Amino acid sequence: MIKRLLSIFRDSPNSFEGQEKEERVALLLRQHPFIILVPLTLFGLAGLVPIVVGVIFWSYLSVHGWLHLYLFVSSIWFSGLWLAIFHSLTMYTLNTVIITDRRVIDSDQHGLFNRKISELHSHRIQDVSVHTNGIIETFLRFGDVMVQTAGSEKQFVFHQIPQPDRVKDVIMQMARSRDSGVKTVVQ
Amino acid sequence: MTYAFPLAIIFNTLAIVVFLVYWGGSFIILYHLTRFGIGVQPKKFAAIFLFGSVVLSGTAIILFMNLDTNLLIPR
Repeated sequence: MIKRLLSIFRDSPNSFEGQEKEERVALLLRQHPFIILVPLTLFGLAGLVPIVVGVIFWSYLSVHGWLHLYLFVSSIWFSGLWLAIFHSLTMYTLNTVIITDRRVIDSDQHGLFNRKISELHSHRIQDVSVHTNGIIETFLRFGDVMVQTAGSEKQFVFHQIPQPDRVKDVIMQMARSRDSGVKTVVQ
Repeated sequence: MTYAFPLAIIFNTLAIVVFLVYWGGSFIILYHLTRFGIGVQPKKFAAIFLFGSVVLSGTAIILFMNLDTNLLIPR
């Protein structure tokens, strides 16, 4: 029972809402972890504020008997930071691109209650290109993947995706296999 | 001493409001992670977040109980 419960933290078929019958998820993509590292570092620095204040004003706080108040305010500060950190992580986690054997689904989470989901069927894919810009993207191997479509939304752009070349190959493979009727295997 | 009673009420009310706002925000984040998250990563984040939130709010409650509101009254 406990093993089964804990398995949700290990294995996942990457199923999603609106998944069609026998539709197989080939790739589940999120932005490169470097993108979330920047706000997390800032939150980390903000977490040092009560510690620095405590170190500087410790004697002053203890003389006036404000230690309990300082600790309480610090705990509120850390609770707020905890919320802010996980708000950022939620935004990061819910910004996904799902590539299945039938379509590409781009979910853009702009806020907790502001989401845009675009869908592109593989037979509409015309061209896929990759754009890596700058030293960080080059060394950490991430970049933008642009999918040219025959649909109303002329171009799909997936920002800061890790290993964009591999993603491009997978999308093209999917588009080709859809045309030829041969099932693709993604490793 | 005439201050103490209303000040205590104000502080307690404020603490309850902060506590409710915090857990309201936490609920929204947990809901999004578990309801819309795909794969294992959102579930892991949700578990870590819930654990941390319980610990932090528990700590805040204990520290609030130890707080002497009389110290905040200007003499």
